[in-house]
Amino acid sequence: MYADVVLGFRQKHSRPSFLRRLVSLLNPPKRRLDCLHQLAKMVQYNFKKITVVPNGKTFIDIILSRTQRQTPTVVHKGYKINRLRQFYMRKVKYTQTNFHEKLSTIIEEFPRLEQIHPFYGDLLHVLYNKDHYKLALGQVNTARNLISKIAKDYVKLLKYGDSLYRCKCLKVAALGRMCTVLKRITPSLAYLEQIRQHMARLPSIDPNTRTVLICGYPNVGKSSFMNKVTRADVDVQPYAFTTKSLFVGHTDYKYLRYQVIDTPGILDRPFEDRNIIEMCSITALAHLRAAVLFFLDISGSCGYTIAQQAALFHSIKSLFLNKPLVIVCNKTDLMPMENISEEDRKLVEGMKAEAMKTAMGASEEAVLLKMSTLTEEGVMAVKNAACERLLDQRVEAKMKSKKINDHLNRFHVAMPKPRDNIERLPCIPQVVLEARAKKAVEMEKRKTEKDLEEENGGAGVYSASLRKNYILQHDEWKDDILPEFLDGHNVADFIDPDIMLRLEELEREEKVRLAKAKEDDVEMDVEELSEEQKLQLAAIRKKKAVLIREHRLKKTVAQNRSTVPRKFDKDKKYTTKRMGRELSALGLDPSSAVDRARSKSRGRKRDRSEDGNNDAMDVDDEQQSNKKQRVRSKSRSMSVARSASRPPADAVVPGDGFKDSTQKKSALKISHGSHKKRDKNARKGEADRVIPTLRPKHLFSGKRGKGKTDRR
Amino acid sequence: MATRHHYDNNNCDIGVFSKLTNAYCLVSATTSSTNFFTGFESKLKGVIPIVMTSIDSTGTIGSLCVGNKNGLLLSHTVTDQELQHIRDSLPDQVVVQRIEEPLCALGNAIACNDYVALVHPRLEKDTEEIITDVLGVEVYRQTIANNELVGSYCALSNKGGLVHPDTNVEEMDELANLLQVPLVAGTVNRGSKVISAGLIVNDWTAFCGSDTTAIELSVVNSIFKLNESQPDFVVSEMRKPLIDTYV
Repeated sequence: MYADVVLGFRQKHSRPSFLRRLVSLLNPPKRRLDCLHQLAKMVQYNFKKITVVPNGKTFIDIILSRTQRQTPTVVHKGYKINRLRQFYMRKVKYTQTNFHEKLSTIIEEFPRLEQIHPFYGDLLHVLYNKDHYKLALGQVNTARNLISKIAKDYVKLLKYGDSLYRCKCLKVAALGRMCTVLKRITPSLAYLEQIRQHMARLPSIDPNTRTVLICGYPNVGKSSFMNKVTRADVDVQPYAFTTKSLFVGHTDYKYLRYQVIDTPGILDRPFEDRNIIEMCSITALAHLRAAVLFFLDISGSCGYTIAQQAALFHSIKSLFLNKPLVIVCNKTDLMPMENISEEDRKLVEGMKAEAMKTAMGASEEAVLLKMSTLTEEGVMAVKNAACERLLDQRVEAKMKSKKINDHLNRFHVAMPKPRDNIERLPCIPQVVLEARAKKAVEMEKRKTEKDLEEENGGAGVYSASLRKNYILQHDEWKDDILPEFLDGHNVADFIDPDIMLRLEELEREEKVRLAKAKEDDVEMDVEELSEEQKLQLAAIRKKKAVLIREHRLKKTVAQNRSTVPRKFDKDKKYTTKRMGRELSALGLDPSSAVDRARSKSRGRKRDRSEDGNNDAMDVDDEQQSNKKQRVRSKSRSMSVARSASRPPADAVVPGDGFKDSTQKKSALKISHGSHKKRDKNARKGEADRVIPTLRPKHLFSGKRGKGKTDRR
Repeated sequence: MATRHHYDNNNCDIGVFSKLTNAYCLVSATTSSTNFFTGFESKLKGVIPIVMTSIDSTGTIGSLCVGNKNGLLLSHTVTDQELQHIRDSLPDQVVVQRIEEPLCALGNAIACNDYVALVHPRLEKDTEEIITDVLGVEVYRQTIANNELVGSYCALSNKGGLVHPDTNVEEMDELANLLQVPLVAGTVNRGSKVISAGLIVNDWTAFCGSDTTAIELSVVNSIFKLNESQPDFVVSEMRKPLIDTYV
């Protein structure tokens, strides 16, 4: 269908301009090719990702339902006029944005014919007609601009809308006009959609990679060859123009991948008369920098004589310029090369001579080849010749480019210079060498983990034993369980590779010691204890046991018992008497200890007063010298004054640095006096807590309001 | 001949998950199926021990250890159990040792064959000594194409070596003299510069990531002399395809 449409357009428009372009391409200026090359590297050709172009009606439905769904719908006449205006302006603007977005996608996603690789540019022109294609995109662009303008105008008008009704009318008018604009480009949209569908099915030809191009008259065996060297599976039928468009297959030669393009047959007639199918081939020939295989049916079974085919060759030979060209004489099974007539031979020679002109140093064998796709005789030779010559040409071109210098290291093998006399031999196990020696013998199938896995329930079920391949001294050790921790220690910390050695060493040492012990056995014999000693030992042990028991008892109870002062001890265990007894049992004099333990309390009053009188009298005697002490002794109990073990404050202690107690006293006095004032003044400081105002006015004045208790 | 292989679901960085030397092969144990292991088994079973293990419970064992036929050095992250497992699985003449090196990705920091090791320039002095003792190699502090991670950017055997594609000619000659093996600059895994992640190799076999192209594979085969071809093959036969691919 598209072909008819396109054909119609093509015949109407632009044939002469297209021709001019092709003719100019036949002799391409060098500069142009360079810039084309650069361009092509940047662009990737994937026409499969163009978004679907909806037809006019669907387009409008999509946009309007979107406006309906995505903008607010509820409005009231009672609303302020500003709000009403906003409401409808939003609808108009939103619709316009959506139109703009959708139309922009179309414009951006369709390739610009000037910006893509000229091969694709011309192919698309041949297939869809450039003028019509541009026209359709231009219309879409105009529609986009018109819609924007409409929206702008109506938004302006909406600013003056003075009621709900007026605003609504303006909105309806705006959307209506936008849809009308779109309706007008419906045919363009339909055309673009058709093109999109067709473009998605174009073969993905990379114009810059290594390419082998097959061309020739119809029905000469181009597609058969294609099927032989690639896995493209092109349709082959015994009639002309079976192949109606370009087909791509891939083949490998010398580690590299080559793109093989099968083209439709070309008839020998002027450009004007060629149909779209032939023009595809011409475009490919004109633009792809490929190795060209010109197929020649020497049997003539295709329906064209060698003379006709030679004429075609000469008429399109300008397209082969600067390309490795191979003339392939096909169908040698029907007519061997030797059997062709003298005239035909001359024609073939003429073609060969022509091809040799551009051969760029290739041998004659690589220019003219015989082949039969039926018997597959010579097929690989043709492929190899074409690929080799293409590779040679590409490498030659690349060697001249500047980029080669950045990659020189890749084509260099650094061979070592010997630096010492050490021989560094490879270490290949004997097993491998043996296996290599008897290469012919099939390696016996060994059971792999994969087989085991399959047998034992497959992936996820089978879990391979990690231990089965352990290399240990005894096989039964493999399954020994080695604990990670033992008695709170990391077992691995104690693992020592030399443990057996050390064990042996220890055992030896022990043996020596045992032997020695046996020798000393007699001397080691212990003397018998005397009867008295035995009794003593028993007594010691018994006492020890009792003490331990008591201690344990106390410990068990202690947790739940409050500590009780000894004077409330019910058992009267800790008495002075007992202490005296025990001390004397140990052979110590208990008198001073008992004396110390006695109460130093005030005692009975009478006793005290007697002493007190004496004291007072003593004090009176030394009234002048010891006034303070007297005062203190009268006012305080002796027992609490100070520990008896501590010297009085004014007693001279060695190391104090005083001559006598008088000196010490006067020193103390001076010391007290020195900080007296400081002590007094330091009664209140900044670190002390201060409440400046106890009842601040603002918190305690005014009336309380209803339910306002927290703040006044 | 080098074999194409992949880890789990088409992860081509097989060198990260395995380690191959002339005396043993370590394979990551963290995948649930045995496909990865079996890939190595089919080439190596009965020749050298293949050990399924992990290091610190991770599968990236190729980066965390370095070794040759004499010994195996493991990063300090290895657990005691894994260390014991590896010791039990390897023959006694292979010394297995854990080293306290701050650069714990030893596989990335050190590249070695059975005679020479290239190491990261900032490796500890002690580590260098341990490498000399355990692996029995001469140690050189080097960079490859201005990369300090020498272990990542080259693959070595006793027969040849593949280095980072940006290594210049003088540097390659210098490295070749140190290593005493022929070197070539190249890529693996369809243009990956991280050679050791995509390629593990010993003196008679090699495994590449499954993305490796035919041309990369043939470079590997010839530089490591895995089939009949010799290193010169790269500059003679392969020259044209290489130029057409890279320039």
